Amino acid sequence: MSSSKQALAHPASSAEAASGTSPGAARGARGRGAPAAPDSWRSRLYRWDMKASPYAFVAPFFILFGAFSLVPLLYTAWYSLHDVQLSALDHQTWAGLDNYKNLLSSDFFWNALKNTLSIGVISTVPQLLAALALAHLLNYKLRGSTMWRVVMLTPYATSVAAATLVFTLLYSWDGGMVNWVLHFFGVDPVNWRESDWGSQFAVSSIVIWRWTGYNALIYLAAMQAIPADLYESAAIDGANRWQQFRHVTIPQLRPTILFTVVVSTIGATQLFGEPLLFGGVSGSKGGSEHQYQTLGLYMYDQGWIIGNLGKASAIAWSMFLILLIIAAVNLLLTRRLRKSQ
Amino acid sequence: MTTTELTLPREAGRRRGRGRMGAGKQLHAGPLTYVVLTVFALVSLAPLVWTAVAASRTDRRLAQTPPPLWFGGNLFKNLQAAWDQAGLGTAMLNSVIVAGTITVSTVLFSTLAGFAFAKLRFRFSGVLLLLTIGTMMIPPQLAVVPLYLWMSDLGWSNQLQTVILPSLVTAFGTFFMRQYLVQALPTELIEAARVDGASSLRIVWHVVFPAARPAMAVLGLLTFVFAWNDFLWPIIALTQQNPTVQVALNSLGTGYVPDQAVIMAGALLGTLPLLVAFLLFGKQIVGGIMQGAIKG
Amino acid sequence: MRTSIRRSHRLMALTAVAALTTGLLAGCSSDSDDGTSDNSGGSGGSGRITLTIGTFGVFGYKQAGLYDEYMKLHKDINIKENVTTRTDVYWPKVLTRLQAGAGTDDVQAIEVGNITEAVQTQANKFVDLGKEVDKSQWLDWKLAQATTKDGKTIGLGTDIGPMAICYRKDLFKKAGLETDRNKLAAQWKGDWQKYVDVGKQYMKKAPNGTKFVDSASSVYNAALGGAETRYYDKDGNIVWDKSDGVKKSWDAAMAVATSDMSAKLKQFDKPWDQGFANGTFASVACPAWMIGYIEQKSGDAGKGNWDVAAAPTAANWGGSFLGVPTAGKHQKEAIELVKWLTAPEQQAKVFAKQASFPSTPSAYASLKPAADTTAYFSNAPITQIFADSAKTIPVQYFGVKDQPINSALTDVGILQVEQKGKSPEQGWDAAKNEIKDVLGQ
Repeated sequence: MSSSKQALAHPASSAEAASGTSPGAARGARGRGAPAAPDSWRSRLYRWDMKASPYAFVAPFFILFGAFSLVPLLYTAWYSLHDVQLSALDHQTWAGLDNYKNLLSSDFFWNALKNTLSIGVISTVPQLLAALALAHLLNYKLRGSTMWRVVMLTPYATSVAAATLVFTLLYSWDGGMVNWVLHFFGVDPVNWRESDWGSQFAVSSIVIWRWTGYNALIYLAAMQAIPADLYESAAIDGANRWQQFRHVTIPQLRPTILFTVVVSTIGATQLFGEPLLFGGVSGSKGGSEHQYQTLGLYMYDQGWIIGNLGKASAIAWSMFLILLIIAAVNLLLTRRLRKSQ
Repeated sequence: MTTTELTLPREAGRRRGRGRMGAGKQLHAGPLTYVVLTVFALVSLAPLVWTAVAASRTDRRLAQTPPPLWFGGNLFKNLQAAWDQAGLGTAMLNSVIVAGTITVSTVLFSTLAGFAFAKLRFRFSGVLLLLTIGTMMIPPQLAVVPLYLWMSDLGWSNQLQTVILPSLVTAFGTFFMRQYLVQALPTELIEAARVDGASSLRIVWHVVFPAARPAMAVLGLLTFVFAWNDFLWPIIALTQQNPTVQVALNSLGTGYVPDQAVIMAGALLGTLPLLVAFLLFGKQIVGGIMQGAIKG
Repeated sequence: MRTSIRRSHRLMALTAVAALTTGLLAGCSSDSDDGTSDNSGGSGGSGRITLTIGTFGVFGYKQAGLYDEYMKLHKDINIKENVTTRTDVYWPKVLTRLQAGAGTDDVQAIEVGNITEAVQTQANKFVDLGKEVDKSQWLDWKLAQATTKDGKTIGLGTDIGPMAICYRKDLFKKAGLETDRNKLAAQWKGDWQKYVDVGKQYMKKAPNGTKFVDSASSVYNAALGGAETRYYDKDGNIVWDKSDGVKKSWDAAMAVATSDMSAKLKQFDKPWDQGFANGTFASVACPAWMIGYIEQKSGDAGKGNWDVAAAPTAANWGGSFLGVPTAGKHQKEAIELVKWLTAPEQQAKVFAKQASFPSTPSAYASLKPAADTTAYFSNAPITQIFADSAKTIPVQYFGVKDQPINSALTDVGILQVEQKGKSPEQGWDAAKNEIKDVLGQ
């Protein structure tokens, strides 16, 4: 495990650097000032409390997390270095980096990586923008505000199977509603399941439908915490609604926006439920040419359908490494930028 | 106008006691807002509504084109069939226990950890936060196999704690609360409380929780829905002797000709409790957000 | 280097127990015992045994009333079924549970696509059922599929999928084709290419908006289901690219895919259902279990218009087995249940309910399909047609990765040609690459 520790040490500085840009962290650093009190038991207790409480606050999380999430994940790291079949878990043969080498030379892996990026962009960008707009609207004083919020979260609550059935009907080649509308505009029917860009578009639309309200609610919570005075003084300065949104709301939401970008990016990498169900029978292939097979789906296919746990685990950890590389590049760029400033 | 111009009034506003958007000073929505929201709402609701339409039809009718767009007369019959076949009574109770426990635990521990990461300084905090975010990047589906082997070694296969324990905390929740509190919890408030000699626990109770309430509500809602709908691990870990709703629904529509109408009725039954919970608690959540002002 | 996983995950367990300091478990650990087969409590009083049977979607025992009947016969037994609809979730779950040695059901269903993997890798996790029954009741090839090299039978056959051709008489007539089932069977007897030739004839005068067959893949699966060799040879060597059966079936599928006679549907998809309902294809290779599906999805519009003819070659598609894991607590009772469920009489009852065809020939004489089914299919002698096919199906050898290889050929290779307009050579190469990936080469 030493290698992963080293890998983690790297971006540690990146997080500090990244969070350093957000005003909250800076203030957090200042916020430690405690009154210097005489050396009574009370003040000793007080100091002990100051020192120990952060650990106490994070301990329940890390204990539970370490036991039930981290350990199984480390198991997959172990699997990724072995030849392990789902049908023979006891027979693990050391494979070194073979699983990883196999991936690097596999067209399917690179294809899945490419799809992950394109579907990730097509689905995440509009989704977050729409969520931001939606949250902004929901933040107005509304009649029946509870109802609106509940409605926006229904896609997330709707059974995925039911939703996929609806989308399959909408996108069916012959007689689907979407093609019917296209026909109305004189466009030839599109084979949404099999065409290259069409299938990616269709899968992305399911993702957007499902997660926009979810992100909107996250933004909304953060918007609720923006002090009204900011808007008032902006209004006094003559800012219209759009300017208020641009100059008050967005800057105040920055940490939350960062959060949703990170989570959506990770989510896009791991995406497998929507394309799996959209594909129907043999959905784990992501189309006959793997047109919409994401990394998450490729992993599912290898581990779950084909039963090659070793290779599937290598895919899982490659996804981790890829995201780390993205983070590192990001860090380098921000540093460069800051230096040039 | 730039953002720096706005910094001063914000700080001042915080000291004055934080009037919030929710406290009655919100801008009123114009008619256009309602139009846009209605469009969003229709798109959001359509699949659920169609699920109900499908649940009110017969399997034969569902195969035909064009698919039915309006309700038929079989809703009650299909709901009854789905309820009986899937044994949803126990399943609902189990799901409430599972999702409830996971939600309470996730919200509580995520808020504590998120607060520590956002506002307190301690050794390794950067590394630990990164570790938290980093593990989100590794898809959990494969961990299902070692997790099962392990749970069965503990003698727990088919019991509810097998699905509760692995989800008691999420990296997502901690990261979410951290990002929220960084912005929403003024450090001055903590400082002030410290000056007054408040212990950390008191600060958490009187300062952090009130400030975090909107985010806690949202995290709770999202977590509950996630736990309710979670499928892959529960279906590996449980059987229909002691199922959650999603596991129970898997017993519907068997035989070589699965009855789609009954399956849809089951999907509807599985979703309804969530909607009821939204409506019941949604009001309180909104209320909670409204009075999110800080007492400390 | 070989390592055993067992010790290390016991260590993990200890660590976790130590880590769980609080009483978090108190709230949820009320369920008793270790959670294997008899955990459910249920209604039974003392002495009543609960047997669990783990199945995936298709069995229909509950619908046919077999569990109730058995419980009536055996007052001390209570049966609970654990269904996992999708086999691609069910089978990994069973594999994991078998190897954990805990949490398996008393009876575990195995699909034909997984039976070889079970025989080759999990045989020691199952009871030898061959000792418990008269093995000669089953069709030879069915029995052979569930038997290890050293003669251990890990599962008893439930249904099989003997093949026929289901066709729309009315559409055939409009296209100027023969409509008599015997004459049609004679036209394509012996070779799936002849069936394709009939399709070419159909397309010359095809009624508007209809095609001859639902998909090229269905022709492939049907043809392969009657081939002597599939993807593996008798000794378990992979021979898929040299297999004559694969080659012939592929060629037949290519003939379909390149001559615009297919409705280009994916089987068991929503649009496929609609194809039945709208009558957009005139024929489909139908294993016995598909009979009920066609009746249901085609609805009233298809009533009396569908007919059944013998397939070009005897073939099998699908079917399952029931096994008894050694980890179960009530093996004796479980064996009795499996024996009863797979006995000819019970198989006949399931046939009457949903046309799952028995794997025990002695049932064939007494088979009666439901009356409305017979009427629906123009009074075709369904039982006779399927029984004739069942008796002449060759012994086929399956391999561990049979299912993923098959989907590489159908859902990648054939689909590319059929839906994306690739050439047969391109489709073959794509399937070849895919299979390489499946085999980890």
